[in-house]
Amino acid sequence: MSADMADHERIDFSKISFLVVEPNRLMGQMVRDVLQMLDAQYIDRARDFETAVNVLRMGRTDMMITEWALNQEKLGRDGMDIVHWVRNDGGSPNRMMPIVMMTANSEEEYVCRARDCGVSEFVAKPYTVNGFYTRLASAIARPRQFVRIGEYFGPDRRRRKVDYAGPERRVEAV
Amino acid sequence: MPPSQELRRKAVNFKKGFKLKLEPEEIRKLEAVVEKATDQFTVEVAEKLRGLRVALNDVANSQIGADQAMQAIRSLSLEIKGMGGMFKYPLLTAFAKSLNDFTKDMGVPTPIQLDIIAAQIDALYVVMGNRIQGSGSKIEMQLLGALEEAARKYRHH
Repeated sequence: MSADMADHERIDFSKISFLVVEPNRLMGQMVRDVLQMLDAQYIDRARDFETAVNVLRMGRTDMMITEWALNQEKLGRDGMDIVHWVRNDGGSPNRMMPIVMMTANSEEEYVCRARDCGVSEFVAKPYTVNGFYTRLASAIARPRQFVRIGEYFGPDRRRRKVDYAGPERRVEAV
Repeated sequence: MPPSQELRRKAVNFKKGFKLKLEPEEIRKLEAVVEKATDQFTVEVAEKLRGLRVALNDVANSQIGADQAMQAIRSLSLEIKGMGGMFKYPLLTAFAKSLNDFTKDMGVPTPIQLDIIAAQIDALYVVMGNRIQGSGSKIEMQLLGALEEAARKYRHH
């Protein structure tokens, strides 16, 4: 697609079914309100791993936005466990679902861990709504190719295209 | 392997919806959504600050359950860290980050570590009690610097 055409692309959020996983009442409401302002019509919400997975199993979710730190009292599972479930579990209805992780765990080590778990985009809290929108739009309109390398299955973690002279270790198809 | 184009096919078009780069007016409208929730933010943070004081008290007064109370301090400070800057309270985020970093891998704190945690929680109260938006004045920045220095010094003592 030419750059000129890309400039005219639009995202119709009313067509997308979201799952927002956020234990904090206010922050969950903020995400929902922003999505509704963007004209999103279908927004499921969850506060813990179990509820999130139950919603995902229904197969209606197009895109998930999840916090890393969830309600620990329920099995001690967090947002990364949900990402891992989506990408790797046999019961996952859409293993290539775009996943945006929003978290106050914003230091580089966490960004790397999230990336290595298979998130599509990472939003550090506190965030600006424009920053959030940019990540959301990127995950929807510019999906990255998926790779399987060893135990990793998820979006290509290399964002820049660089010349690589070494052996190709990626598996092209599952 | 190529990415799934299912969502793109479903939602991306040339007629309806939002461009990939928002117009300033659209950004303003989205920011208004956040601003509208400022009162709720204040209530929410006040609740979490009370939770921090309770947890601190639990850590100070009992060895049994101290681990759980420390986990509560880590969890509450992380939540405050993530909220402050969104509502024009970056100083609150900075103090909460300082507390969260300090307690991250901490077991039951020593008396001096407990004093530092108490001072960090007091600082959060000061920011909210005085509604200090932005980065604060020179005094607040000095306080933040001093607490971070103390945290660095006593993290492992």
